[in-house]
This record gives sequence, C-alpha cells and structure tokens, in this order.
Amino acid sequence: MSQLNDGLLQLRYRWSFKKFLAELLEKRWMDGIIPFGIMVCVILVFGSQVENYFSPDVLAMTAREFAEPGFVALAMAVTLISGGIDLSVGGMFAIINFLSLMLTHIYGWPALAVVPAALAVGALMGALNGFLIGFLKTRAFLTTLVTMIAFRAIVKLLNLEFAPKIALSAKTTFYESTVWDYMGDGSFLGIPSNVVILLVVAFIGHVLLTRSRPGWRVYAVGGGRRSARHVGIKVERTIFFVYVISGILTALGAVFYAARLDSAASETGMGLEILALMAVVLGGVSILGGKGTPGRALMGIVIVMVITNALLRLGIDSALNSLIQGLILLFAIGIDVKWLKHLYASIEKIYVVPTYLSLPKALDPRPGSGTVFEFNDRLKDAETIGLDQIDGPEDVILDRQGRLYGSVRQGWIVRFSGDDFSKRDIFANIGGRPLGMAFDRDENLVVCVGGMGLYGVRPDGEVYKMTDETNRTWTRLKDDSRIRLADDCDIAPDGKVYFSEATIRYKMEEWPVDGQECRPNGRLICYDPATDRTKTIVRNLIFPNGVCLAHDGRSILIGLTWKCDVLRYWLEGPKKGRIETVISGLPIYIDNINRASDGNYWLASVGLRTPVYDLAMRMPSFRLRMVKFVPPDEWLYPNVNWGCVIKFNEQGDVLESYWDPLGNYAHVTSMREHMGYLYLGGLHNNRIGRIKIQGADPEWTGPDSYWGKK
Amino acid sequence: MDQPKKKRVMVWGARIICVLGLSLFISNVAVAAEIAGISGSSAELHKHYDKSLRGKTIGFVPLALGSPLMGSWDYNMRKEAKECGMIYKVKDPNWNAQASAQAISAFIAEGVDVLVAHNMNMQLLAKLLRKAEKKGIFVIQINMVSNYKTDVFVGADWYSIGLRQAERVLKHCGKGTGKSGKVAIMQGELTSAANIEQVEAIMSVLKNHPEIKVVSSQAGNWDSNIEHDNMATILKQHPDLCATIGIWGISHLGAAQAIKEAEMTDQVLVVTSGGGSVQICDAIEAGLIDVYFNYQSLLQGHDIMAAAKLLLQSGLEPGQAKIALFSPVFEITKKNSSYSCFPYPFPEEMMEALKIDYPFLPISE
Repeated sequence: MSQLNDGLLQLRYRWSFKKFLAELLEKRWMDGIIPFGIMVCVILVFGSQVENYFSPDVLAMTAREFAEPGFVALAMAVTLISGGIDLSVGGMFAIINFLSLMLTHIYGWPALAVVPAALAVGALMGALNGFLIGFLKTRAFLTTLVTMIAFRAIVKLLNLEFAPKIALSAKTTFYESTVWDYMGDGSFLGIPSNVVILLVVAFIGHVLLTRSRPGWRVYAVGGGRRSARHVGIKVERTIFFVYVISGILTALGAVFYAARLDSAASETGMGLEILALMAVVLGGVSILGGKGTPGRALMGIVIVMVITNALLRLGIDSALNSLIQGLILLFAIGIDVKWLKHLYASIEKIYVVPTYLSLPKALDPRPGSGTVFEFNDRLKDAETIGLDQIDGPEDVILDRQGRLYGSVRQGWIVRFSGDDFSKRDIFANIGGRPLGMAFDRDENLVVCVGGMGLYGVRPDGEVYKMTDETNRTWTRLKDDSRIRLADDCDIAPDGKVYFSEATIRYKMEEWPVDGQECRPNGRLICYDPATDRTKTIVRNLIFPNGVCLAHDGRSILIGLTWKCDVLRYWLEGPKKGRIETVISGLPIYIDNINRASDGNYWLASVGLRTPVYDLAMRMPSFRLRMVKFVPPDEWLYPNVNWGCVIKFNEQGDVLESYWDPLGNYAHVTSMREHMGYLYLGGLHNNRIGRIKIQGADPEWTGPDSYWGKK
Repeated sequence: MDQPKKKRVMVWGARIICVLGLSLFISNVAVAAEIAGISGSSAELHKHYDKSLRGKTIGFVPLALGSPLMGSWDYNMRKEAKECGMIYKVKDPNWNAQASAQAISAFIAEGVDVLVAHNMNMQLLAKLLRKAEKKGIFVIQINMVSNYKTDVFVGADWYSIGLRQAERVLKHCGKGTGKSGKVAIMQGELTSAANIEQVEAIMSVLKNHPEIKVVSSQAGNWDSNIEHDNMATILKQHPDLCATIGIWGISHLGAAQAIKEAEMTDQVLVVTSGGGSVQICDAIEAGLIDVYFNYQSLLQGHDIMAAAKLLLQSGLEPGQAKIALFSPVFEITKKNSSYSCFPYPFPEEMMEALKIDYPFLPISE
C-alpha cells in the first residue's frame, strides 16, 4: 500500500508547472517578452483600425519609414548598454542628411562615394563624443547634450548657406543615380532596401554584442565600470568605440533618409533623440546600462513608429496624437519597468520546487545498535597532513611517486611531497572550484572543476581544458549544454572520462538548496579525449556525486548523495548501457567512491541521515513553505556535519565503517588508499588525514591498479 | 488584382452602395426629389457632374492644421466636397517632414482619387508626388510647389508678391527718403518654394539699389516666437532699421510684436503677405503691420475644389494636365483693413454650414 502510495506521490511531484515557469522566466529572452507583447498588441490594434494596413504595399511603405529611426535606435541602444547615452544622434542625423544632399545635389558626387563619406563623417562625430566621454571622462549626458547643440548649430549655418541651393538644384531634374534611387526607393525580394540593411546590421550587431568578446566588454562596462576596469577591460577604449559605432549607425540611417526624402528641411532629426530613447527603453534596454539587445531596440522602435504612424493615418488631431502617444508609452514603460524589476524576484520565489522522496528506513548507527554503521573511533588517531596549509581539499589523490594532491577552495591543486609530506607547493592554479580528480594513463591529472568543467593538468603543471559543454537536451526549456557543476570523475581503460554533474539547476555554492529540492537534476557525462566529444549518457539522477570505475573496468559506480543509493552503469558486457542499483538507502549521504586494495570500494560520506529530514523529504509542500517564508540560515538542512568512511563490496554489502568522534574528519568528501594508508579529504577541512589500514596491501597504489605497474 | 482594376471594382462597389442608399432616400423624399427633379438641358450636366464626383475621395496633407491659412483651405474643401458627394480626408503631419511624407504615402496606399499636397520644401515630396500620379491619382499642389510639377498648382505667385513687397520698401526707405535704408528679411523655411521665390524676387529688386542694405536675412521656420526673438536682436544691433519683410504674415506677427515692444512701429515699415485672416487686419489697425499682400486663402480652398472637380470631369489621365491657378492678390493697408479679412476661428454660423446634409440629385438612367 505504502509503496503504491509512494509511487503515486513521486509521480505527482515529478513534473512541476512552477519549475517550468521558473525556468521559462529565467530565459534571457523573457526580459523582452513584455515589449514583444506590446508590439504585437499595438500592431494588431492599430492594424485593425487603419484601412489596408496589412496589404503588402502599405506594409513595405511603413517599414521603409521605420528603418531610418531604427538605425538611430540601434545607436542609442549601444550607448545605453555601455552605460552612457547619446543625445547628439538627432544633430548628427541632420548633419549627415545635409551633407549627403550637398554632395549629391550640389557637388554631384556619385552615390557610391557619398555613402562612405557620410559614414566617415558620422564616425568622426562619434569619435568626438567618444573622446570626450571615454578619455576625458566627461559625463555622457551633458557631453552629448552639448554636442547636440553644436551639431544643430552647424546644421543651421549650413542650411542658411546651402539649403536653397540644394532645393533649387533639383528644380529642373531629379538627381538621377541608380544606387541613390535604390537606397531611397528600391527593395529586395519585396523588402525595402533600408529595412534589409537595418536587419542585417541589427543581426550582426546582436551577434557581436551578445556572442563576442568586444560585445561582452560593452555589457561589462555598462553593468559596472569599476568592475570592468578591475578585470582588465580597457574601459576608455571600449567607450570610445561605442560612440564611434553610434555615429556610424546614425550616419547610415541619415544617408537612407536623405536618399528617400531628398529633404534639406531645417527640422530634420528634431526630437529624434527623444524618439530613439523612448523606443529603446520601451524595448527593454535599461537606461542604467548593461542590459538590452539590438533586437529589443528594434522592437521598441516598431512600437513607437506603429503608434505614431497609425495615429497620423487615422487622421487624429496632431495635439491629441502626441498626447495619446505619450500615454501609451508611459503605460508601456510602466509595465516594462515593473516587469524587469520583479522578474528576478519572482524567479527566486518560485525557482525552488521541492519534490517527494521517500527513503527506506535507515540502519541505526548509534552505539550498541550492532549494525555495521555503529559509531566507532577508528579515525580518531588519524595523522594530520598540512594542517592549516590547505583549505577544503574536496578530493585527495596520490601519484606513482607517492606525492599527495588536494583540490582546494582557491582554485588550486596543492601538492604535498617529501618523506612526511612536509613540502607543500601549488601544483596548478586552475580557478573555479576543483573537486574530484583522477590520473589518466599518461599521468595527467584530470580534474572536475565546479563552475568551469573538466580540466587536465600535465605532470609539469600545465593546465588544459578538456570540456565545458555537452549535448543539449532539446526537450528541456533550460539550456543544459554548459557544464556547471562537474563533481567527480574516473577514467575507463579506453581513456574515456566519465564524470558526474551534480545539478544543472544550481550553482556550486548553492548545493544545499538542491538538497531541499531533491529533484533528479544531475547527470553522468562522458568525455572522449580521442574524439574530443562530450556526451550526456545518463540524465535525471538525484545529485550524482562519486564516480568510480569498477575493478574489472567493465562498469562505473555512481553515488547519489541525497538518494543515498549507489548505482552501477555498465560500460560493456550483456548489460551495456544499462543502469542498476547496487546499494539502496544507505543511512549516510554519499560523496566520492574509490577503489580499495582488497577488491572492494571505499565510500566517503558527508553526513548522516536524520529522521526529521527524512520526514521532510516526504513533505514537499512543507519544504516549499520553508524555502519561501523562512530565511535561508534558518532552514532545515540535511545533516552534512557528521560523516564517515565505509567500505562495500562488488555486491553492495557494506563491510565496515570508520568514524571520528573528535570531529576532525566529520565531513569526509573523499578518501584514497595508497600503500596501506587511507588518505582523507573534506570539503571544509583544514587538513588531510591519514590512517593505517589493518590488513591492507602495502604495495597497492591507485595508478598501478588502473594502469598497471610501470 | 492589379491596381486600376481593383479601383474600378471599388468604385463600382461605391456606386452600388450609393444607388441602394439613394433608392432608400428617394422613397422617403420622393416629393423633394420631384421638386428637385431635373428636366431640360441641365440634366446632362448634372448627370456628368454627379457621375464624375460622387464617392470620389480627396485627401489633403497640409503642413499642419490649426492656423488660419490651412484652416481656411480645410474649411472650404470640407464644405464643397460634402456638397458634391465627395469624401474628404485630411492627415495632419504637424510641421514634421517625416510625418508629411508618411501621410502622402498613406494616401497613395489608400488609393485616393485626388491628392492635395502642401509642400514643406521643394524636394521632400517630389518623388512621392510623381509616384502618386503614376498610380493614377490627380495631384494638386497648394501654395508651395514642389520641384516636381503635378496636374495643378493652386497658390500665390510668390515672385510677383516679392517684387511688390520690395517696391513698397523702396518707396519707404529708398533714395531721397532720408532713411537709413536698412532692411531685414524674415525668412520662413529656407527650402520651401514660397521662401525661395519670394526672397529671389525681393533681392532682384533691392540689389539694384545700393542705398538699401539687407542687414539680416534669417530663417524662422514659420515660427512667430523665433521671428520675435530674431527681430528683438536685430533692433538692438540696428536701432535705425527702416523696414522688415516677412514671408508669412502669421509668423511675422512675432517680429511685428518685437518692433512694437521696442516702440519703433512708426519707424519700421512692416511688409508681409498671407491668406488674410482677421488677426492680420487687427494687427494692421493696431499699427503692427503696414503693408500686407493678401492672397485670400478662402478663395484658394475654393480653387482647390474647383480644380479637383475640373480634373475629375475632364476625362484626363493624372499627369496629363499642367495648370497653374495663381491666386488673385490685393494689398491691405490701414485704408481697407476694416473689411478685407475673414474671421478666424470661423464663427458658429459658418461651422453650421459644414453639418448640413446636402440633398444629392438622383441619377436618372
């Protein structure tokens, strides 16, 4: 009865809408969902009101008009993302428009020469802004306000001198140029020429900004100038180029404008900066910097242009038109701001979704219980290595020369050598949080690094990346291709590295939260150095942690921390590719698993199961309420303070256990046997411990066991 | 479906609807129809008139609504279109060039029959107007012409107005008057036809008179506030200014106001031109403006409609005609200012006229 009940309950909590929603909201493109919604609404509402709105002709015409401010919106977006603002876009726009008309109508330049000239002048004006803001460190707002006035004044002077000439030059004939006409009036596959260029530019800009190093620098500078400087970004140069790009984009828009309208009117570009600013903010580009994409800027400009255009077409009185525009934009921006502000808070609130987990009754470890887990003091007299010289060796390993390696919090691999391990050096500095380790055939040290992936260290200390990405699960909303928390690894005889990723939903330092949730968020991944391919082979494991190749090399043992199970994954033989349970429901939380010299396995435990937490595991809604309403430091956590080391055999029988009543090795995350000794590591320990094992083979070493004697 | 065909279908649709509507109307006011019934030689004309005009659309894009000049065009077009059963539409770009082009594009897309364009400058709409004609739309340009000349131009002859303005200034400031000879020209939008042609004419006269010095020639973009500020500055630099010429009366009121504030209305001759709304006559009576060339915008609105009716009945294809209807101009000074202007905003009785449902004559096939 209870088993059936458990099964049903597990099924009921397996799939969660909230989890789906949280992961959906977490997607980066969700930032832009509100502007996108507004855009669709605006198009549908106004499109239905205006006669013929969706006929191809009209759409093309509307699109043509939206393209030029579109370029300006891109320019504005880039400067906003970099943490600045460019108010001079309207002035630059007017200058370039005028310049293009002067060159074509008065000086008769060919259009193909006018375009680069205009872009160059745009870049120059942008460079002036960039120089002032980037290198002289003037405030972007005031600087561009001043240059806006200056550019406008230049336009005015030029206007007085040349405008009538331009107007009259075309009195008898049009400026005839195929290229110029194509820019102003041509289309490609029915799409107006300027829209095609805008989309191409926006796409390239999007890829550059969001997927390239210079682009990330722009975000970094916009997100936090000081931090950007601290990580070594050349802030001045980045800002300078942002304004140059802004100038070029504006110039591009202005050239198309000139080609389309041929108008040297003095009010060209008036209020364009406000329009562009309004549009990009509406599209979700943060005015505070560091947030937004070109795509969203374009959404914003579509919204603004559709509204202004439709109100004009509906023949609404112009004063009323401005008022309606203002109100719609205010409303939209209000929603947008609220959305962005509350989005992350909402995700946080609903992200943790505990599930139902029923663990079998635990064997009693209390003294006098007579079980194999009965407390003892076998770790009490452990020798201490590197006391206070090492910070949290999650895993320890020894090489053929008997040197001892520990993976520590600082992102280093610390090595102890000499007779009594008195000599300490930093063997390698990888970064991230190095966790499980293994030696391969060539004595390279393979390391799982939390937050980074799978890395290797050559015997001379050189660090190289093995993999940080695996194949994505396409049925899952969350992009799980990046490896976030590689935990422990082992290497098969064919050189393939099998490693566990404990959870894909949480970061390294949030691993206890994964324990609250207790969902199968982890997986087993295989990296093949021969082909440099990475593949996820087992999904949906509950915090897979220890990984150990069986003595015969035909299967892999996997320890699941919260589930307290040891699984076996068959690499070859009749059960190849199948998974089976070796031990179920240990009374301890499992960490690393390693080989023992007598053909059995050592298993490290970070803590002891408690009846209270076991009960909580069967009460997901209780845990949900706790996570929601109680501050994290008062949560009911799994006990990870009282662990031990156990030995089990190939059949899954637990043979013995090692406890430390003093608490020095209470939190054991790893252990290695080497020449009759067992070395102990702990995620939060300030030392490595070592005990002599009774009856162990004094010649046995890990590398020999894996790769034979040398 | 190609464009003309579609249009034809639409026109036929409109006709059918009209006929259905009319039959209803007739059954109700059969007696009235009897009275208005057409007999005799006029019947033919009525039929042709009605067939050519009813249900046709006329679209208007001014620089902006809300001023007496554009307001009076709008008024007469609205009224006369209604009288002959045409549909009148207006899109207001509110002084924005981009919006002006958008509005024209929109009318082309909607497929109006007659397009009335008020050009912000000489280039802006040129290509679009050509496109409109190619699409089979009659294009009438009002007051400020584009580089591209369409079927009809209705509006002031800027060149002759400019000449007459310059002559008035010569008379006041020229040789033998003992005045400084300093003249300011308050331009509007530099690239607009009115501005270019008027300034050209003024300069062609003044350049032959070395005693006349043009001390300022600035653009005010049709904005009376800008003209006011410009004039205030000019008067400080040239306290002996003799005359000022404004391209548009409404915006030149700003300059006139600045002259009044400087208490120099007696010294400075203010010459300008415009559509002749009551604000101008008031200003003349108050001594703000001295000479005003009135091109009578109410008549211009009527001319636009006359031209539209002409084109629609002519059997011509768009682009075939090249007609200029230069508006008659008369000079307003203090002598005739009491009766030479039209009221604006329009009095209630005039607005009532827009609400009347005009009886359409039945088509007797």
